[in-house]
Amino acid sequence: MSDVMKRVKIGDGVHFSTIIDPKFKSNRISVNLLLPLEEATAADRAIVPFLLRLRYRDCPDFTRLNEKLCDLYGAAVDGDVRKYGAYQIVNLSVQALDDRYTIDQAPLVQECTQLACGMLFDPYLENGLFSQTDVQLERQNLIDTIESEFNDKREYAIGKCMSILFGDSPMAVKKYGSRERAAQITPESATQAYRDLLRRAAVEILFLGCGDPSAAQQIFADRFAEIARSPIAYDGSLPVQKAEKVRSVREEMDVAQGKLVMGFRTGEVRTPDDVNAMKMMAALYGGTPFSRLFQHVREKLSLCYYCAARYDKSSGILMVDSGVETENEPKAREEILHQLSVLQQGEFPQEELASTILTMTNALKSTVDTLSGLENWYLTQILSGYVESPLENVEKISRITKQEIQQAAAKITLDTVFFLAAKKEAQDQ
Amino acid sequence: MKQQIRSERIRESYWKIQHPSGLTLLLYPMEGFSSAYAMMTTDYGSVDLTFRTDSSVPFTQIPAGTAHFLEHKMFENKDGDAFAKYAATGASANAFTSFDKTSYLFGCADQFEESLRILLEFVSTPYFTPQTVSKEQGIIGQEIKMYDDNPDWRVLFNLLKAIYVHHPIAIDIAGTVESIAQITADSLYETYRAFYNLHNMVLAVAGNFSPDVVIRIADQVLSPAPKLQLERAVVDEPEQVAQKRIEQKFPVAAPMFCLGLKIRPSAPREGVVNSVIQEIVNEVLAGDASGLYRRLYDQGLINATFDSEADVGKDFAAVIFSGESKDPDRAAQEIMKEIERLQSQGIDPEAFARSKKAVYGRYVRMLNRPDSIANAMTSAYFSGLDLYDLLDIVADATLEQAQKRLAEDYRTDCAALSVISPLDETAKE
Repeated sequence: MSDVMKRVKIGDGVHFSTIIDPKFKSNRISVNLLLPLEEATAADRAIVPFLLRLRYRDCPDFTRLNEKLCDLYGAAVDGDVRKYGAYQIVNLSVQALDDRYTIDQAPLVQECTQLACGMLFDPYLENGLFSQTDVQLERQNLIDTIESEFNDKREYAIGKCMSILFGDSPMAVKKYGSRERAAQITPESATQAYRDLLRRAAVEILFLGCGDPSAAQQIFADRFAEIARSPIAYDGSLPVQKAEKVRSVREEMDVAQGKLVMGFRTGEVRTPDDVNAMKMMAALYGGTPFSRLFQHVREKLSLCYYCAARYDKSSGILMVDSGVETENEPKAREEILHQLSVLQQGEFPQEELASTILTMTNALKSTVDTLSGLENWYLTQILSGYVESPLENVEKISRITKQEIQQAAAKITLDTVFFLAAKKEAQDQ
Repeated sequence: MKQQIRSERIRESYWKIQHPSGLTLLLYPMEGFSSAYAMMTTDYGSVDLTFRTDSSVPFTQIPAGTAHFLEHKMFENKDGDAFAKYAATGASANAFTSFDKTSYLFGCADQFEESLRILLEFVSTPYFTPQTVSKEQGIIGQEIKMYDDNPDWRVLFNLLKAIYVHHPIAIDIAGTVESIAQITADSLYETYRAFYNLHNMVLAVAGNFSPDVVIRIADQVLSPAPKLQLERAVVDEPEQVAQKRIEQKFPVAAPMFCLGLKIRPSAPREGVVNSVIQEIVNEVLAGDASGLYRRLYDQGLINATFDSEADVGKDFAAVIFSGESKDPDRAAQEIMKEIERLQSQGIDPEAFARSKKAVYGRYVRMLNRPDSIANAMTSAYFSGLDLYDLLDIVADATLEQAQKRLAEDYRTDCAALSVISPLDETAKE
């Protein structure tokens, strides 16, 4: 049964967690380095995984490295950055077939562990610094990535709403940092960010799949023991804030469809039970194809194709977003708020809650069938400071009452409304 | 008729069953999994616009977007919405329309039997009225506009417009606001009767379920379908592309491109074999470990978004290279030059062996998940293959096959380039 995670401390601020199930055909090693988000350092840290991914000391050529990955049956190495509340997570992962499923029974688990450690601990440096060429290249790629948020108008509108909502709190810092800071990255600043990550980050390593993790665990423990660590004390407590007044911002662009985003603060959510109630309230509100928002804004009023609610416990935010005709924005906004008041008044049938519980139960039970599902679930559990299995969570959410949903809905307050409107001429086309 | 399909290579098997109703069942129980995924597919997609069910009458022409419209409308029955019925089982349901298929699916961990019954019932029960058709025109109108704002989607469909002179693949899957305005309840019934004949459909299930349950539910719900008499008009498509280059200005941060090579269509089975070999050729030519990738990456002409694919359908096939580039025309030229160089100098045997391993790993990893297994079983089936044939095609691929595909399919005189470029004064912030 894959449902159980084992987590052990293997170094100062370094944890190694394993989720093993023979049903899988691959293994995945995911290394996560956490530090508080800061405007000044976010971009420098964000470039690090991309530099590590390019080459390392024992394989100092990008093309040779990729050839090696092909030979390991298309093993995938990924570097990326995630964000959890006010923390930035630098991630490096390797995924490959298990030895049993290769054509020639190749020892892939061992090779992939060495690869991950090589990239993480022995980067390719010139005179103690990342190479100027690599930094130039990846700096431009990072800038492109930051700017590409603008391409997807739904993501762009959500990003805009979040920036306004978070104001000058660390949560407003984007996971890749700002374009301006990215443009200033130098080999010195990137190398310093890398060293800082190894020394100070809280480290969570996950090994998921069907192989034997013990050798990997030992290698990571040995390598981290060589570093003089002074890790941060990670604080997983949840942000608790109410909106004071509603801020409304409108922007015009040459788009075919308007994008409405409404950001709410979730207020007093402190315990795992509070989180579960808020999660279920968000699902009932706009998380399923029979939710309040889907049924009313889409099916009854025919105003949109999507209208969804998402809850992010790490930032204490619930967000609703919908793509609507520019002239329909007031109607959509009104109906979205009306449906919230329906939840607050408890004017929804018990069956809707029962169905939502069933849907969430199914989703939780399915989590254990994919490596990515397991990784997301357990990493989030670890970061929230309260680890339970998907099945344990099923137990909890199935007991949630209508009254708890009502209470959760009553806690949320509208903070920011952002609307990306279609320019007049664009609409007439 | 019940047939067991086995793979000696990975020591797994599944069942292929001809149900008396006419429906083909592909059943892949997976040990240790908690969830099951079921997908019912008809061999009918957006390109099937001209057909007849009686060879003595002229062909019927239906409006673009009908297949997708029908997909939306199938969820509605006299006794309510299928999503509302799934709400009572907790399954997560969805549907999608591609160029040549329409699929209805659900995933669940509990109440598999009830959800399967819902799926088979609603897909075999058409119910359309002028009111429900008119309501859907509003919703799909917004879906079309959402895609109009999506540059990834636009760059691809512009490419298809440039590649194809007559073929309806160049029309958006959802049609246009004007074309869907012509759809009526009657035209939906006519189309449904032609294409939703069970002989034209397949049900694929993978994960945690019992094959006996599927057979029992199919016995209870499905009645034998009449013999399939369906003829699709053959599109007279020239070998040459419609235009060499197409460009659209768009609110994006950086230019994007799709370079497509038009391939002569072949019989379905052969087309799939070819596309698997093309995937290996793409890996040799432009994969992460190729010299071309390195040159383009080092010059900043591509970034991590660069990708290649081999697309194949009933009567169309193409190889496509896509990504962001500061200079799409130069990136495209470099790719074409490399194709011509490889054609004259031949593929390096080592690069071939490596690329083959990488593609093999990709195909085996696909067998990790119930949803990807169901998808792959379905597409293999409609091409006259079994799922494991794909693994064998990769494992048995030869250098000669790759050289042949490279020579015959990568014709640089049948290429088209689609570019999305930023507006002259794109307001980035």
